[in-house]
Amino acid sequence: MRWLIRRVLKKGKGAVSYEEDVHYGDVLSIGRAADQAIFLPDLRVALNHARVTQLSSGQYKIESLILAGIRVNDAITYATTAGPGSVVAIGNTRLTLMAAPQDYDAAVEVSTLDKGEQKAETAQRAKPTRLAQTGLSKRKPSWIAFAAILVFGLALPMIGHFAPGFGEMLRHVPLVPSTQSWNPGTLDSAHHFFAGDCTKCHQTAFLTVRDKACLACHANTAAHADPAKFNLPQLGNAQCRSCHQDHEGLRGLIRTDQRLCSDCHADLKTRTKGASTFADVGDFGTNHPEFKVSLPQWDANGKFAPLRTTWAADLKENSGLKFNHEKHLKPGGLNTPNGHRTLTCATCHVPDAGGAKMRPVNFEAMCHDCHKLGFDTLAPDREVPHGKVAAVAYTLNEYYAKVALEGGYQDARSPDIVQQRRRPGSPPLSQQQQQEALAWARQRASEATDSLFTGKACSTCHKVTAPRTADDTWHVAPVRVSGVWYADAKFTHAKHTTVKCEDCHGGAPKSTQSSDVLIPGIANCRTCHGGAKAKDKVATTCIACHDYHQSATLKMGTL
Amino acid sequence: MHDSILTYARSRYLWIALALTLASLIAYIAYDPGGPPNGGTWLGYTLGTIGAALIVWLMLFGMRKRSYRNSPGTLRGWLSAHIYLGTSLILIVLLHSGFQFGWNIHTLAFVLMLVVIFSGFFGVYVYLRYPNLMTRNRDSATRVAMLDEVAEIDQNALALADGIDPKIHAVVLRSIQNTKLGGGVWTQLRARDGSDIALDSLHGALAERDKRTEMKTTEMPTMFAMVDFLAGRATDKQGEAMRSLIDLISRKKGLATKVARDMQYQAMMEIWLYIHVPLSFALLAALTAHIVSSFFYW
Repeated sequence: MRWLIRRVLKKGKGAVSYEEDVHYGDVLSIGRAADQAIFLPDLRVALNHARVTQLSSGQYKIESLILAGIRVNDAITYATTAGPGSVVAIGNTRLTLMAAPQDYDAAVEVSTLDKGEQKAETAQRAKPTRLAQTGLSKRKPSWIAFAAILVFGLALPMIGHFAPGFGEMLRHVPLVPSTQSWNPGTLDSAHHFFAGDCTKCHQTAFLTVRDKACLACHANTAAHADPAKFNLPQLGNAQCRSCHQDHEGLRGLIRTDQRLCSDCHADLKTRTKGASTFADVGDFGTNHPEFKVSLPQWDANGKFAPLRTTWAADLKENSGLKFNHEKHLKPGGLNTPNGHRTLTCATCHVPDAGGAKMRPVNFEAMCHDCHKLGFDTLAPDREVPHGKVAAVAYTLNEYYAKVALEGGYQDARSPDIVQQRRRPGSPPLSQQQQQEALAWARQRASEATDSLFTGKACSTCHKVTAPRTADDTWHVAPVRVSGVWYADAKFTHAKHTTVKCEDCHGGAPKSTQSSDVLIPGIANCRTCHGGAKAKDKVATTCIACHDYHQSATLKMGTL
Repeated sequence: MHDSILTYARSRYLWIALALTLASLIAYIAYDPGGPPNGGTWLGYTLGTIGAALIVWLMLFGMRKRSYRNSPGTLRGWLSAHIYLGTSLILIVLLHSGFQFGWNIHTLAFVLMLVVIFSGFFGVYVYLRYPNLMTRNRDSATRVAMLDEVAEIDQNALALADGIDPKIHAVVLRSIQNTKLGGGVWTQLRARDGSDIALDSLHGALAERDKRTEMKTTEMPTMFAMVDFLAGRATDKQGEAMRSLIDLISRKKGLATKVARDMQYQAMMEIWLYIHVPLSFALLAALTAHIVSSFFYW
């Protein structure tokens, strides 16, 4: 086998000459020993460093004969197969395997690196010694991160705002941010159903949410204050959003903090120059005036015009009713026409459907079981109707006229004509007889009326006045309990079912006069409720009982 | 006492940052926003403005660092302020947010800010600790000098080994080849001198070769093991030369370890910046998106 060994000789100034040599043998040995085919006098070369054999395919097999291995094409190896053009580096020598030229079976070019080339080689092989040389970069990731966040965090959602179709699509593509990614917090639960559409409220970019957006739904919500009486905008920023800020959690839309009210309701008299007569309020627990209670009262024309007055322990009211709580709430119970019964508060005071107030006490349902309105012992089932004075007279007149004309009324004091029972076939009463009977009837009806009004029926509960003239009727003073004692507070019994009735209405079981005011004052509420910062009581702010200047009649949309 | 970046100007910026933090805290406690605390209140906007201004100013440090012209204040002063005011951001921004978090761009900005700040804490730690370690490790030599010495030892060792035995020459040759100082990020950070890695890559080939050679290479995975091997194989005649070779290779191992550690210290002092800087730009983008989106949907 003929090997061509071509040595490259450098002659300075870049000039190169070649020296060719022939080697016979199957193996091309490389090393520092004198018997090597390629003799390399370099300490970095072992005596028998490596060998090259040619394979039948024209490829070369390169084998290292020492532990250190050999560098073929810049990779250290022990044995490898390489084609022509491959470079084997040993010490400062470079062997380039070549395709066999004519007349030869294999060829290799041997060149020695000069100092400059060695240095370059070393530098090229040197591994990075600083992080900056490893391909790590600060600038590139900075730009990428900066741009990516601006695009995905800002630009895409913004485009989604201006192109609603695109925005809608973004919302349904997982992991791609839409305007939803700008949502700073959970919406109020009432607003959740349109939470996906930011533009419902945020209609114009870079403009705050306008009242118009709120009124799209809230036109029929009760208005805050009648502008004629109390001009909210005068106080300053009175847009909806000034107070109602959303994205503050499920129950965050309505302000319930004490400051909402106490900011203004302090020193009102001075600040409004006497225009406001409201007492100052700062804190329910420590700085709240005694309640103003509405007591029943009628004006000169008989119209109900409740009197608002400051609650006091010894306050008296005039509902027009006579009622003795103590008698009715007797602990041992009462004998009634329907048997023995023990009455409790709930017998008469039944909450209304909403649970806030009590239903009005109703004679027919609550009193009538015991308090019958009968007028004649001979007809115990007959009663006069309750409530209308005129109807009482009609009923009695009609009843006794009927009895007088029909006869058979077994009362020894009545005339014979009334006592006689008329049989079928009896001759009709003469005109004189009729007049006599009806005269009795009128007399009897009048007696019964007097008896009802003055005796056990009406005057038991009512204040009754006799007719002043012959044509006049009996007068029953109007009865009306206040109904809503504290008109400006949102008290609800339903929320207080954990306490007993007597806890607040403690005077009721011992009250003998209906003029006793059994409604509690602020001190009673304060046994459980304190101000906003109360530690050992229910922390209660103004909004717990009061509305924010809410108008009873006006709507938001019609202001 | 040595004046570190933390105690610069009698910790002037520590006190400024503390005052800022305390003032924010007092304002937060004293201010009743009339609802849940959030970024949209008077105090929220104020704290947010302070926070955003601080972030922009802290990022300007990167420019100040490169500016060698007359700039206000010393670089040490800027760094001291950078550290303390950067730390105070955590509380200021927490108060700005009213402790409200969610899966949104706003919380992303906050999280990025925290990562930037805590990577900065790591930076402070290595800046305070590693220069000392580095000086002690170099022992008044430079890295270039140490590398030159390694190359010189290699040459001498080869010459010595050649006089002993061709096989020992080969072993020394291999140890030279396998001693690669420097490498990828992980190599630099772990202070490996490269011989182990070269071993790993050649492990398969080695096993193959071991079958044919009588040498038990698995028993000498490190250079020290090789040296032991050398000593074990040495004949009495070559004893003197062997001892010299062992000395040389031990010295080289010591030097290589020092160089690797030197690189490690330097890499540790730089690596955190590859998180700190890019994420601070990510933060700047997230902050921009946070501010613009907040006013976009005001």
